[in-house]
Amino acid sequence: MLDSPPPTAVRRRLRQGRDRLATALITAGGIGVIAALLAIGLFLAVEVVPLFWPSGEASAIHAEALWGGGETAAEDATRHRWAPTATLTSGEAPRISLVPLAWGTLEAAAWALAIAVPLALGAAAHSSLFMSRRLRSRLKPTLELMEALPGVVVGFVAGLVLAPWVERHLAEVVACLVLLVPGLLLAGGLRSRLPARWREALPLGWAGLWLVPWLALVLAASVWLAPWLEALAFDGDLRRFLELRLGLDIAVRNALIVGAAMGFAVMPSIYALAEDALSGVPASLAEGAQALGATRWQTLWRVVLPAASPGIFSAVMIGAGRAVGETMIVLMASGNAALMTLNPLDGLRSLAATIAIELPEAGPGGVHYQLLLLAALALFVFTFLVNTLAELVRTRLRRRYRRLGGGS
Amino acid sequence: MKAEPSRRLRLPRGEGAGAWLAAGSVALSLLALLALLALLTVRGLGHFWPSPVELVELEGGRQLAGERVREVPHAGGDGLERLYRIGNQDLEGGRWAWVRLSAIEAVSHPADLVVVERRRWGQAIGRLSAFQGASGERIEGEAAWPALEARLAELGTLRDARDRLREEVILPLAGRNDETAARELKAAHARLRELQSAMAGGRLILATADGEGLAVPLEQLLGARRPNAMSPLDKLVAWGEGVWRFLSEGPRAANTAGGVWPAIFGTVLMVMLMSILVTPFGVLAAIYLNEVAHQGRLTRLVRIAVRNLAGVPSIVYGVFGLGVFVYGIGGRLDSWFFEASLPSPTFGTGGLLWASLTLALLTLPVVIVATEEGLARIPDQQREGALALGATRLEMLSRVVLPMAAPAMLTGVILAVARAAGEVAPLMLVGVAKLAPQVPVDGDFPFLHLERKFMHLGYHIFDAAFHGGDVQAAMPLVYATALLLVLVILVLNLTAIFLRHHLSTRHGALTRR
Amino acid sequence: MPLVKEQRSSPDSAAIIDFPPEASSLAIRGLSLAYGDKSALNNLTLRVPRHRVTAFIGPSGCGKSTLLRVLNRLHDLNDEVVREGEVMLEGEDIHAPEVSVAELRRRVGMVFQSPNPFPMSIHDNVAFGLRLQGGLSKRKRDDIIEWALRSAALWDEVKDRLRASAWSLSGGQQQRLVIARTLAVGPEVLLLDEPASALDPISTLKIEELIRNLKSHLTLVLVTHNMQQAARVSDYTAFLQQGELVEYAPTDTLFTNPRLARTENYITGRMA
Repeated sequence: MLDSPPPTAVRRRLRQGRDRLATALITAGGIGVIAALLAIGLFLAVEVVPLFWPSGEASAIHAEALWGGGETAAEDATRHRWAPTATLTSGEAPRISLVPLAWGTLEAAAWALAIAVPLALGAAAHSSLFMSRRLRSRLKPTLELMEALPGVVVGFVAGLVLAPWVERHLAEVVACLVLLVPGLLLAGGLRSRLPARWREALPLGWAGLWLVPWLALVLAASVWLAPWLEALAFDGDLRRFLELRLGLDIAVRNALIVGAAMGFAVMPSIYALAEDALSGVPASLAEGAQALGATRWQTLWRVVLPAASPGIFSAVMIGAGRAVGETMIVLMASGNAALMTLNPLDGLRSLAATIAIELPEAGPGGVHYQLLLLAALALFVFTFLVNTLAELVRTRLRRRYRRLGGGS
Repeated sequence: MKAEPSRRLRLPRGEGAGAWLAAGSVALSLLALLALLALLTVRGLGHFWPSPVELVELEGGRQLAGERVREVPHAGGDGLERLYRIGNQDLEGGRWAWVRLSAIEAVSHPADLVVVERRRWGQAIGRLSAFQGASGERIEGEAAWPALEARLAELGTLRDARDRLREEVILPLAGRNDETAARELKAAHARLRELQSAMAGGRLILATADGEGLAVPLEQLLGARRPNAMSPLDKLVAWGEGVWRFLSEGPRAANTAGGVWPAIFGTVLMVMLMSILVTPFGVLAAIYLNEVAHQGRLTRLVRIAVRNLAGVPSIVYGVFGLGVFVYGIGGRLDSWFFEASLPSPTFGTGGLLWASLTLALLTLPVVIVATEEGLARIPDQQREGALALGATRLEMLSRVVLPMAAPAMLTGVILAVARAAGEVAPLMLVGVAKLAPQVPVDGDFPFLHLERKFMHLGYHIFDAAFHGGDVQAAMPLVYATALLLVLVILVLNLTAIFLRHHLSTRHGALTRR
Repeated sequence: MPLVKEQRSSPDSAAIIDFPPEASSLAIRGLSLAYGDKSALNNLTLRVPRHRVTAFIGPSGCGKSTLLRVLNRLHDLNDEVVREGEVMLEGEDIHAPEVSVAELRRRVGMVFQSPNPFPMSIHDNVAFGLRLQGGLSKRKRDDIIEWALRSAALWDEVKDRLRASAWSLSGGQQQRLVIARTLAVGPEVLLLDEPASALDPISTLKIEELIRNLKSHLTLVLVTHNMQQAARVSDYTAFLQQGELVEYAPTDTLFTNPRLARTENYITGRMA
């Protein structure tokens, strides 16, 4: 019998030693890398400590000054203000309330979600229920590409192309928004009246694709109809109508533009997670409902959506986390005026954008610097908590699906 | 399958309104994506296409010549007004002109209008009234344009000869240190001076639309063309040249003209450094988490935390980079090694190294998560199979597990690169420059200057669009830069998607019995 | 830990073995094993004869696969495992601190339930273990590879495509390739964990024939849920239930004349 010679003891010990060394290295490296990552939160926390526990210097800032009104607050209107460098420019005491910035951040995120969530959930519902398999396998990577578009490009298009256009064509925008839904329903209605041969050429499974030119048509029609709408409903000039009748200020770069751009950027990530949650619902559940005569849409509404609701919740949370932290889009499309209004046509200034603009100028160690670090810490904690919550919900959901008999 | 004409059973006829709205949201998203890409493509690439120059006669006999840009409703009420790019900034004081359509009497496209690209002052538009050669001879009228073209071609060959002389003769000689080299170097310098003087001199004189004269020295001239007289083929060639110059040249005129080569270079260099940093550490951490660490509650928590760090805003990483790398480590390095140049910082300010490190940290979770997914997808049987043959853990990892996980790691790194290439916010804190005169790589020791600031495509977009003096003039270049950035990122992402797809089909074959 | 401390066998177990202690390759004494607080093996004591085929049978979850994995210390991978008792290979304690796990696993080879060839060529799969040991010329290595593939009755089927991917083979061929891969490193004991359960009947027969041929120079331990298979190929059979050894006897005796009612119930229930 041929047999391999017994390996020498030296070689064996060498192999063992190498193995131990490698394991130790991997362990040290792994722990080191992870520690470095986790050090981010620690660093921010340590740096902002002097804000609250002053070490003798006059840099003591009370929490009330950060989140409440300025100490010189004489009138209500200026209570919450962000003007940390005011001393240098105008001799005023610096106003360091982070409230307007937090407000701006949340306002931008809220508008973004208001636009992204319906779109993403609609798209997820359509692609998990109706869409043909082939189109779906193409749509997912396409939307992934959409997610990968750099914020600076989206921000540029929003701030320098979309915003000026919208400013000049307010009525057209309103007309598009008003006619969008009827236009879509019209497409459905028209299709059901088409001869059967035509209808087969336009299957619901591919509607996501063939509705694109139709939508373009609808939008073009709304632009064309806009002057008529403006004359009918807004005394011929929407802009004056808004300014005079409703008393709204209109800024070129405003919260709605930010919302639209950021909604566009956030939508794909919400879509991806929501789609996972919806298509992960065990098929047996949906089939049970359909066997009882429910349409697919009713099935979605009554059975699939409730089952997947935690997943959808976590998708929205992830979207919120992204919207809160997005910097370039807000920076480029918002006008960066630290205002606190409910008016969606006014500008705003977010925490992230403020950090990007002001931190390079704020010298290390100063109050301004620490304030901006506090803003960063707030962003970090917020997104970290939101993401953790989403992750926990998702894990629990996945476990539940497995109990219900495996997903797809 | 045939459609049943008579419907005895009243089955629900459709899915109802909701289904159409849901389909509509897919369509709307796709439409928005398409519109964005189409906008970037058309504006980005269209800029390089030589557009016709119009000669506009206004009421009252005034004339202007320029490229039509766009039309918007007139602010003061009815009618439209049109924007022309008329160039000649040094004469008119501005390169734009708004004209009310109602004020236009006639528009023509005379073939002899010349568009001149200059080093300073941007474009000039007018009729070529005379060309003056190097020796002072003056050619007027019809003959001036062929003479100018001939001279420009001549200048091109001279410039090539000069560059070749520099590259191939002078630079190698300068490195040597002997008698013959010195002699040859002298001869070469003489030849260089000869070439320089042959290139010097000459100018052209334009007559602008309203009759003023404008002299342009040839040294200032970057190119001249007569767009109205060009055939489509000529235009295509000019378009190709324009694209090439955009990619290969540096910016001019405060980022409103010229190309983006330093930004491309800076982006690529930074991303390369970043991937060199992120790949080993990301893979190491993933191996630790998945193969070495005790799979308990703590590991699970750490895994969730790492996943969540991928969702932490990039600006927060920028703040960390600024605080720890730039002010912390960089400041320390400066006070230890570069004390001579203080207070002006060397490493204590944003630079290439800190930017790469910050982005490496930012993309670590991406690499870790992707690699871990790849590792988790490898069946345990493969690991046990290797161990059962007497492999140590290191041998099992390096010979079986890592080769199988390689495509997943590659996917992770590509995704990380794609993310890093598009990230701008952290770079604003840790190291980009509006205009970096020195590229971070050159012939001076140590060749790669990690402390230098660099240019970045994404930041270039932001800067040119928001901080430039003349945003209107910068817009076409911003479009082109944005298109370039998007293309790079799309290609990277498509590669990653393709790899992942490939990967899942291969592992499908593995799990099949 | 609810581990049983006493060394005696459970009262209602029976073992008739007709070979002397020096003829045993593996000796297990008082082996107990638990995953966390879930007990899997309970105070097992048995000896495995050299150059024979020993089969472990029993219902799912009886611990037979666990026992097999203890024999080449695959449980080292799992931190939650708590073990007591000892396993001797040719008189050496395999859990002794000075024993190299890698070396032990070379001497005690293992073949798993579903074929797990590496994503490499057929040749490289068999060469894998040899390359780890090192110190062989390419020529010698190729000789061993040919010998191993012949021993696994695979050589004639693959000799023309040694460079083809191992994943291009059929399931039965893959399993024989895995056996060849294990044989190449020269083990003394071969552990087979339901080696044919994922295969079609013809491939199963080939594997069984291979097992019978290999016992001329190897000690084989076979875990199977297939009673006929145990009866066909093994010399000794151990019946396990709920982590305990119930009955251990020469295969003929166990299947024709079981001593205990539990064994008989199981065998007849399954054989009928």
